[in-house]
Amino acid sequence: MYRFIRFSTLLVGLFIAIQGYAAEAPLTTADDLGPAVEQPIEFPHNRHAGKHDPSDPSKGGMEIDCQYCHTYARRSSIAGIPPLQKCVGCHNNIESVKDKPRIKKLFEAWEAKKPIQWKKVHDLPDFVRFNHERHIKRFVEQQGHTSQEACGYCHGDVKNMTVARRQKSLSMGWCASCHEKAHTVAASGVDVGKQAYWYTFQKPATTAKVPEDIKAKGPNDCWQCHK
Amino acid sequence: MIESGFDRRDFLKVLGWGGTAVALSGCGNTSVQDGKETVVSYVEASDYMIPGVSVRFNSTCTQCEAGCSINGRVREGRVLKLEGNPDSDINRGKMCGLGQAGVQHHYNPDRLKEPMLLNGDQSQSVSWEAALKLINDKLQGVSGDQIAFLTGTVSGHVKALLGNFMESVGSKHHFAYEALSSAVLRAANKKSYGVEMPRYSLDKAKVVVSFGADFLGAWVSPVHFSQQYSRFRKGVDGQRGVLVQIESKMTLTGANADRWLAIRPGTEGVLALGLINALGAAGLSLPAEVAAEVKAYDKARVSKETGVAVGHIDKLVALLRTRTPSLVLAGNGPDGFAQGSENVAAINLLNQVLGNVGKTVEAPVSAPFAQLQATNGDSASLYKLNEGMARGQYKVLFACGTNPVFSAPASLKVAENIKRVGFKVAFAHYLDETAQQADLVLPLDSSLEDWGTHIVAYQPGEAHIGIQQPLMEKLHANTRGAGDILLALLKSRRAEEYKAFEDYYAYLRAAVLQNKAALGGGALDDEGFWEQTLSKGLIRVAGSSAALSTSTVVAAVPVATAENPDYPLTLIPGITPNLRDGRYANQPWLQESPDPLTTIVWDSWVEIHPKKAAELGIAEGDIVEVISRTGSIKAQAYLFPGIHPEAVSVPLGRGQNWGRYAKGFGVNPFQILDPVFDKQTGELALNDTRVKIKKSGKRVIVIKDEGAAGGKQMGKKIAVRASTDEVDLSKEV
Repeated sequence: MYRFIRFSTLLVGLFIAIQGYAAEAPLTTADDLGPAVEQPIEFPHNRHAGKHDPSDPSKGGMEIDCQYCHTYARRSSIAGIPPLQKCVGCHNNIESVKDKPRIKKLFEAWEAKKPIQWKKVHDLPDFVRFNHERHIKRFVEQQGHTSQEACGYCHGDVKNMTVARRQKSLSMGWCASCHEKAHTVAASGVDVGKQAYWYTFQKPATTAKVPEDIKAKGPNDCWQCHK
Repeated sequence: MIESGFDRRDFLKVLGWGGTAVALSGCGNTSVQDGKETVVSYVEASDYMIPGVSVRFNSTCTQCEAGCSINGRVREGRVLKLEGNPDSDINRGKMCGLGQAGVQHHYNPDRLKEPMLLNGDQSQSVSWEAALKLINDKLQGVSGDQIAFLTGTVSGHVKALLGNFMESVGSKHHFAYEALSSAVLRAANKKSYGVEMPRYSLDKAKVVVSFGADFLGAWVSPVHFSQQYSRFRKGVDGQRGVLVQIESKMTLTGANADRWLAIRPGTEGVLALGLINALGAAGLSLPAEVAAEVKAYDKARVSKETGVAVGHIDKLVALLRTRTPSLVLAGNGPDGFAQGSENVAAINLLNQVLGNVGKTVEAPVSAPFAQLQATNGDSASLYKLNEGMARGQYKVLFACGTNPVFSAPASLKVAENIKRVGFKVAFAHYLDETAQQADLVLPLDSSLEDWGTHIVAYQPGEAHIGIQQPLMEKLHANTRGAGDILLALLKSRRAEEYKAFEDYYAYLRAAVLQNKAALGGGALDDEGFWEQTLSKGLIRVAGSSAALSTSTVVAAVPVATAENPDYPLTLIPGITPNLRDGRYANQPWLQESPDPLTTIVWDSWVEIHPKKAAELGIAEGDIVEVISRTGSIKAQAYLFPGIHPEAVSVPLGRGQNWGRYAKGFGVNPFQILDPVFDKQTGELALNDTRVKIKKSGKRVIVIKDEGAAGGKQMGKKIAVRASTDEVDLSKEV
């Protein structure tokens, strides 16, 4: 009897704990927008990357390429945040904004050699491995898309935002929806449109209709992302 | 001795229901933390620092005295994993489990973080300035004879600094202490071969006869010997090497041997002389004085004294006669007795008459720079210090990286004698048994945060200086390296001499660059040579090779241990590859990796031969008390055929009173060792404790990986088995 009580308490507790945890976890909103995140410095992406306004340069953006600051994206699976040194490198020479509160904050951190505690805006579950480097290599370097376009597939129209906000759900279904778009690959595994290199892992089945051209189904190996 | 009402059935039920619960309620549940987690960028980043991409640095492992060169993977400024450095002659890119656990030493949550004043149970954090000032105050007006410094084995520039510090305070009392040392072996080798540590070449031998040398597990340089062993097994001239292990308690090497012979504890020397006699009779030419000396050791007598059957002696002689060269090793078995030196000398004599000296026992290469050579720790030095402390000779004691209160026999009363010292300073990573006795505790950097140079005692190839460099920033801002502390103390005494060195790193760099030409960097500028040194993680130096003496030294006759009917058994403390002398016990990987022979985890055990256990009515899991003349310990019994029936074994390294992963797990057999010493060297005779066994009446389930059947095949023919007695190795292989 004693054993039964102890045992059922344990199980009931386990259920409640897991239910509670599940209820608390954020679910994707209907419009796929992530939560608005307050950052220690309200970084104006629009001022840096936005469209240049020849009539009033003080209002428009500077059309800086995403990869000028986010240099790690093309070299690592993680995009990372640019080092403070990068911000200071330019802002040291921009006298006109040095007295702005945000820039003052920046230089305070630089002088104290204290990193800024940014909040993470795009987070994936720990069991998903997304590789920035591969996507940049393919879309920017192989296919010649601009950084703003390629990065924008997932990160949205950052050039018109101040601090970034998540624009897409970043769920597995959402990833797969892109990978499932018409990617023409030969059944032999040789790529036709300079795409879909993941077929070296597992060849797609040939359809009877078009034996050499088949519609790719995205990386069909779970291990590609879940390793 | 873990007890719980939660049995296997309950465990499976909870696992099943818990799994279902997770599956039902876990849908849509992710670990996504948008807007909650912080992401911190670098303030300044070097070009090679890319988030998500790891960098590798070479350094030197300090987990044991072998001094393997390691290669650490560092990502986002954190060291993640250690591997071996392929450039090293010691480990050639390989590493052992003990070394792998080095990261758990570094990230250990029980590490000391602040200098502390201890007063009984009270502790109080102090600043480094206050701590150093206190030391300097206490050194005022104290003569050099009243100051002692206790370390483990120490080499490289920290040794040079230590020497200078001792000189500056006028003290000659530096004691290097290791509880498990090869001091007896070194002393005996010096007499037999003229060098303390020759190079052993297993890979050139066709037969290796090892007297208790656990060279695959915990003896001298196990990673190096493991690689030699694999070449030895592939064979010379197509002949696969044969390994015969003779010991009272089976070691990992013994378990790998072609033939394992159980010998009565302490009679290894008798067997060695008996083998020489039998080899002479079988036609090996012996020097006249050797022949005369060993004449008394006829097979019948040797067999009676050692418990090794005459048939086995004959087979061994046949093996040694047909296959040359051979190699005979003396390890931690024979040297741990009152007659330890004689045992080792007799075993070395066997090497000499077999003509192995110069073939498989080779001259060592020694590095230049005598002041950097290792001061090898031994246990005799602790007893010398202990006597001094008992007399009240010392007013100030420094202890660095060693824990004698834990690892000395209780009968020597080290803990009480330490109390007689006026002021005790411990340089420590943890608040271990010795640090608890100190008045001032100074927290040390981990070996992955500190600078250092190491010249190991056993140099298997060219002479190496191992470079130890930080793999990452300090985890705790207020720890310091031993070199930095010594330098700070020296600066307050010899300010002029040391003012050029801001810290130990500056000292080390200047000292290495000063000898650039001798270290083989003559063609490079300072910066280039230093960069090359750090990237390689070691410096090869042109060493000098000492000549081996081949003249035979006739050993005196070893005396067998006297029987004692009150204490009928011999206690052989087990030296396990994981835990050794216990300084690593707070690294949980080492506690949870199963012992290679018994597969027991997280606990101590008493190995008893099944025959002896039947005689005493002991079954597996019985809590038995092991009683020596000086104390007793209680642990679970483990019936093990790999031990001599007249011996029991309890593994060393457990039974600490500190550390969340060490405290409360197992018992400490060091404490009950009899104060018996090797007659020639004064080393503690580790295996010469007589004990008796008493059942306590309690029984537990032994937590082990091995199957319930204890490795038996339960009547099924899974693998063909034959006892080694049925195989004649000299014909088989």
